[in-house]
Amino acid sequence: MAMTRDPKKGLQVPIVTPNTLWTTDDPRAYGGVPLAQHPNLELARYDATGDGRVDDARWGGALGAIPTKADIVLDLIRANSLWPLLSGLACCAIEMMSTATPKNDIDRWGMFPFRASPRQADVLIVAGTLTTKMAEPLIRLWEQMPEPKWVVAMGDCTCSGGRYKRSYSVVQGIDRVMPVDVYIPGCPPRPEGLIYGMMKLQQLIKDRRGHWPERAIGPTVPDGI
Amino acid sequence: MTTQQTRPSLDDPRIAIPSTSEWYEPAPTAQTERQAEFLNLRDGEMFINMGPQHPSTHGVLRIVVKVNGEQVVDLDPVLGYLHRGVEKLCENADYHQAICYTDPLEYVASLFCEAAPVAAFEKLMDVEVPRRAQYIRVLTMELNRIASHTLFQGWMALDLGGITPILWAFIERDEIVDMLAALTGQKLLYNYYRIGGVNGDLNHEFMSRLGNWMSRAAAQIDSNTGLMNENELFVRRTRGLGTLDQATALRMGVTGPNLRATGVPFDLRRDHPYLVYPELEFNVPTRDEGDSLARYMVRIDEIRESIRIIDQVLHEMPDGPVMAKLPRLIRPRPGRAFGAVEGPRGAYGVYAISDGTDQPFRMRIHDPSFVHLQLVGPLTRGNLIADTMAVMASLDPVMGGVDK
Amino acid sequence: MDRALASALQERFGTTLLAPVRQRFDETEIRVSIADAIPTLRALHDEPDFAFEMLIDLCGVDTGEEMQVVYHLSSSTTGDWLRVIVPGVDRSAPRVNSLVSLWPGAEWMEREAYDMFGIIFEGNRDLRRIYMPDDYLSHPLRKDFYLADDASRSPAAGVRNMERAGTPADATRATALRKSSGA
Repeated sequence: MAMTRDPKKGLQVPIVTPNTLWTTDDPRAYGGVPLAQHPNLELARYDATGDGRVDDARWGGALGAIPTKADIVLDLIRANSLWPLLSGLACCAIEMMSTATPKNDIDRWGMFPFRASPRQADVLIVAGTLTTKMAEPLIRLWEQMPEPKWVVAMGDCTCSGGRYKRSYSVVQGIDRVMPVDVYIPGCPPRPEGLIYGMMKLQQLIKDRRGHWPERAIGPTVPDGI
Repeated sequence: MTTQQTRPSLDDPRIAIPSTSEWYEPAPTAQTERQAEFLNLRDGEMFINMGPQHPSTHGVLRIVVKVNGEQVVDLDPVLGYLHRGVEKLCENADYHQAICYTDPLEYVASLFCEAAPVAAFEKLMDVEVPRRAQYIRVLTMELNRIASHTLFQGWMALDLGGITPILWAFIERDEIVDMLAALTGQKLLYNYYRIGGVNGDLNHEFMSRLGNWMSRAAAQIDSNTGLMNENELFVRRTRGLGTLDQATALRMGVTGPNLRATGVPFDLRRDHPYLVYPELEFNVPTRDEGDSLARYMVRIDEIRESIRIIDQVLHEMPDGPVMAKLPRLIRPRPGRAFGAVEGPRGAYGVYAISDGTDQPFRMRIHDPSFVHLQLVGPLTRGNLIADTMAVMASLDPVMGGVDK
Repeated sequence: MDRALASALQERFGTTLLAPVRQRFDETEIRVSIADAIPTLRALHDEPDFAFEMLIDLCGVDTGEEMQVVYHLSSSTTGDWLRVIVPGVDRSAPRVNSLVSLWPGAEWMEREAYDMFGIIFEGNRDLRRIYMPDDYLSHPLRKDFYLADDASRSPAAGVRNMERAGTPADATRATALRKSSGA
């Protein structure tokens, strides 16, 4: 990161340059179709009308903060029996497999069955570099997972693009395409690191943080990115 | 990008989820003759897509299988799901950084992925590697070979449906890899070799773990191997499957254990020697049958040969520096060099072109798994779908290297 | 360094080689023209004196002015690697003959060279993209394909990071390419 000295305070401050290479105002963006008429955002426009948010299992508003006993038990069940989806893409997959094997046994937390089918999985541990060609199948897998589902970004490549920051075919972090609950840095993270991340996820589930309580789909990247 | 408040909710019953027929893209139009042949379906045939995510843990490979009932008629592997653009990145990084980029290619055998570019760069720089560093390189490479072959054993069983061997294989592999972690600091992507030597001498932790392991190694390998060799299911499924004959193997550019299983005793450690291999005594195991079982057995024999090599290296290791004296800025003269090492999958080579600046002008990485994946089609034709995985497992590809 | 190999190559192919046989460490290098490439490789494969039966590598190289196709071969008769460089491939319309008739295993390596450089191999029945998606438009390893440097953010602003070559006029890609002699 480029740093410079702030002359007034004598501190090092980062040089922040906005990305002027390409913006969403560029008429060539998104295939030339303005966002307001883009067919892919049909669902988003529908949801903006607010007609779709029907909440049948929880009270809305302030009352949603009071969990019922059933919710507590359900969250405990979900946290202690997270079944990951086999989505090992690259080197981090070896460490994920290493976590599943007897030396660092993730079966202690109930996560041994790595399901091959997304319909049976709870958590998508993206382990390995996500390339632009693989992004579509991975998003399809994630969309096929039934709620409640969580996403764990394992490894530097999934957190931010990692060592492939300048590459032409690597997605710079999976949070550009799906909402991520836990980021586990490392290249590759040690199995202990993955276990720590999964325990954090269990904590998130029990505290009902993370993305599932809002039960929404779509990337949660904030404006301005 | 959609903003926070416009995320649609899946709970709404009015959202029409498209039917499954719309999830999939229409059949691709053929761009080439071979693809047209492949896409031409005769009566009774259909396509099965073993998509980029499937339980066979070789990585992200998509195989489109044309089947007639259960029998495979033709195969089209689709690569590129892990293409990270490593060659381009290496051209825009300097020589030390280029070595780091090559680590995650064959990630289970990453010391070989470093050894090849380091050999090529050392040829470009005309650097003599100190003897101790050469011995350390041989030692660590053979350890990595054993780890990779042990993992291959486990994977092969996993692809055939057995869960126990992979758990045992990982126990074995974790021991070796922890040893290397004590030496290099990393369990998987070691980043240990430098141009002119290695990064840091052997330490006490590594030597004690190594000694500990060596005393048990042969017995452990025998017990792991016995679990599979004496399993009738395993043997009957792999014997006679995917037989590759010598002439085809040579014509397809196959190297490594896959070639040695067909009877050709080609081993880079013997035929194009590097480091201190000329001074070490070891055999080059070959088999004649060329089927999956032969490919498996060759790798088991190689594990035993590697233990022998490690033994000799430990006895003959000289003292001395582990790094040659080099300038900090690596700027070789313009030229070309090809450095190749015998990896656990075959000949892993790097062709480096230098243009006199501090960044490689072209760094071509030749990965053996890339060439071997071409064999999956011809070897599986006529067999069942489940045999696709068996053949692929016996060829032992690693998609990181295939896709670069 | 196998001197006997160098003299045998010079004797047999001397008329068609574009440059004398070069040797360094354990590599021997010859250069042939596009038209002579396949006949030369066929001779190297078939003749018992050479017996280069193993194709180790096939790659493309973009020097900025021209493209090359480079083959690496190995033989049981010699301990040297043989590198066959086919220079002079036109950058704007690269076409060479395919090696698939000799070594069917070259098919995917040629596909990769096509994907990365755009080199068309005549005779390869399956010349489509292998790494990039099918609808990708560029050929990434060409020298005119620039990585998305965070040029706007770095102080070096797109110039190669560690070395500023001589005068500012030298610090351009064109100069660096011109300086690469014989590569």
